[in-house]
Amino acid sequence: MIKLSYATAIFIFCIGLYTIISKRNLFKTVIGLAIMESAVLLLIVTSGYIPGGVPPLLPMNGVAVNPLPQAFTLTAIVIGASDVALALALVIKLHRRYGTVDLDKIRGLRG
Amino acid sequence: MMPVLAVIVPMSWGFIIPLVYLFRRKLLDQAILLFAFISFMVTLATAFSGWQGYNVAFLGGWSAGLGIVFVVDKLSAAFLVLAATGSGAAFLVSYGRFRADPWRYYVIFFLLQSAMNGILVTGDMFTLFVFYEIFSLAAYLLVSFTMSWQAIEAGLKYLVLGTIGAFFILLGTAYIFMATGALNMAILSVSLPQAPPETLTVIAACLLIGLFIKIGAFPVHFWLPDAHSSAQTAVSALLSGVVVKVSIYALARVSLLFFLETRPAAFTVITSIGILSILGGHLMALRQEDIKRLLAFSTVAQIGYILTGVGTGTAAGITAAVFHAFNHMFMKGGLFITAGQLSEDMKTRNISQLRGLYRHRPGFVIAFTVLAAAIVGIPPLNGFMGKWYLMLASVDAGNIVSALALAAGTVISAFYYLRILSSLYSPGVPPSRRKPFYWPFRVTVTFAVFCVLLGLTAFMPPVWKAFSTIGTCALDTTAYIAAVLVE
Repeated sequence: MIKLSYATAIFIFCIGLYTIISKRNLFKTVIGLAIMESAVLLLIVTSGYIPGGVPPLLPMNGVAVNPLPQAFTLTAIVIGASDVALALALVIKLHRRYGTVDLDKIRGLRG
Repeated sequence: MMPVLAVIVPMSWGFIIPLVYLFRRKLLDQAILLFAFISFMVTLATAFSGWQGYNVAFLGGWSAGLGIVFVVDKLSAAFLVLAATGSGAAFLVSYGRFRADPWRYYVIFFLLQSAMNGILVTGDMFTLFVFYEIFSLAAYLLVSFTMSWQAIEAGLKYLVLGTIGAFFILLGTAYIFMATGALNMAILSVSLPQAPPETLTVIAACLLIGLFIKIGAFPVHFWLPDAHSSAQTAVSALLSGVVVKVSIYALARVSLLFFLETRPAAFTVITSIGILSILGGHLMALRQEDIKRLLAFSTVAQIGYILTGVGTGTAAGITAAVFHAFNHMFMKGGLFITAGQLSEDMKTRNISQLRGLYRHRPGFVIAFTVLAAAIVGIPPLNGFMGKWYLMLASVDAGNIVSALALAAGTVISAFYYLRILSSLYSPGVPPSRRKPFYWPFRVTVTFAVFCVLLGLTAFMPPVWKAFSTIGTCALDTTAYIAAVLVE
């Protein structure tokens, strides 16, 4: 069951990468970034999961899941959110200048 | 204690500057100058504290297995000196130009400096990722700070690629955690070799892909020329001189600790990417008309030189790579500052229109000539010495191809730097206005003098000995592990 969730995480990661590479719409690029981020977070969270584990709170009844990956995930969520926020701010700035978010119409820096 | 201060001091300046702006606006000029001086001194002091022996700080008193450790060894110390010098120079250039006027710029600047120090001193994979992201966010903001359309586009491109790289690094870190249950680098360098070989390959692939994207090595370099050329002058010098080097430090540290014995193929990959970067960067630079883009592509090629040094995996190679990292910081920092000043004077960045500057800006043009001669590799200067040591190390390690690529790259770079120089020395219309450019000029001249001095290191045995201990110390993983795991 755990193996399946690892495979799912990698599959989602690839979807995010594919979205960034193939789509010409800047908003879809940002969405691709968010998808990649959540895939990695999913992988980290699952890595700490123990089948039948309880939340790591005192008093503990039984085996608790590993809380460390959850702490990492929280940190990484904050980082990912700031990345996405900055990306959206820049996309808005570009949209004000070009009136479009299509990468083909944004002439830009090539070569 | 010192490694912690090196992170906390610049970061707290980042948060104090807005308060000074709100409550003591008149003091802002002096305050920022003082803040920059203090962070410069603290960074240098941290570097020296780690030079004599390993300086390990356990945060909160927790041991390496439980808490976060900051480690300064000779490799970190060398890069800390590099970061302090480069960001100090970039600060002087922007402060001399704008004073404290864009105070938000200095907030980002100090955050960047603190995150760079954080990457250089951390001994923990996840902390590395966190500092990497603070550092990258600050770098994206600095690139797009001028808010011109080029800057915003370059910033967005940098952000998208940098974030992809960051998630690859995070993926690698997640796999490391799943394979070993630890994140401390010293513990990992003991426990990671016991992981299954396939796992190691996947981890190495994820980390190397992520770091190569962050470094801007050849196949994934396309954000670098845009970002480095669209930013303002001081930021270009900072990005090319220091920011890239910090990423190279992360690559060297991770690959030396984890993959030196278990996955030597990782070093072959680093060398091949280095060779690709040398040839690709130089060939792309040959085609550029824009002076700052040309310098940025030259940065890609110089990254390739440094990567071939790291890729040898020997003490001599690491030493040569660190030496060339210093050289490149001085050369490219100076070149970017000069090119930025000259092209602002002429209001164009097209090389063929930057004519007649020798008559009207002789100081800058002479400094540019020295720096360009150094980066091409004219013998008494530091670029030659850097390439010489890199070539020796490559041949010793048996990488004949990278030695040949170094030689070929030198020839190509001579072509395009001569093109700029011939344009600068040819007669032409003088630039329209004169304005004081005291600090940029001082910084460029200092950098040019350093280029000459570093070229003489071969005749200064104590200096060269100090450099060569960096390589041996970086390869001595047992001492690193012993220093961190002491209890």
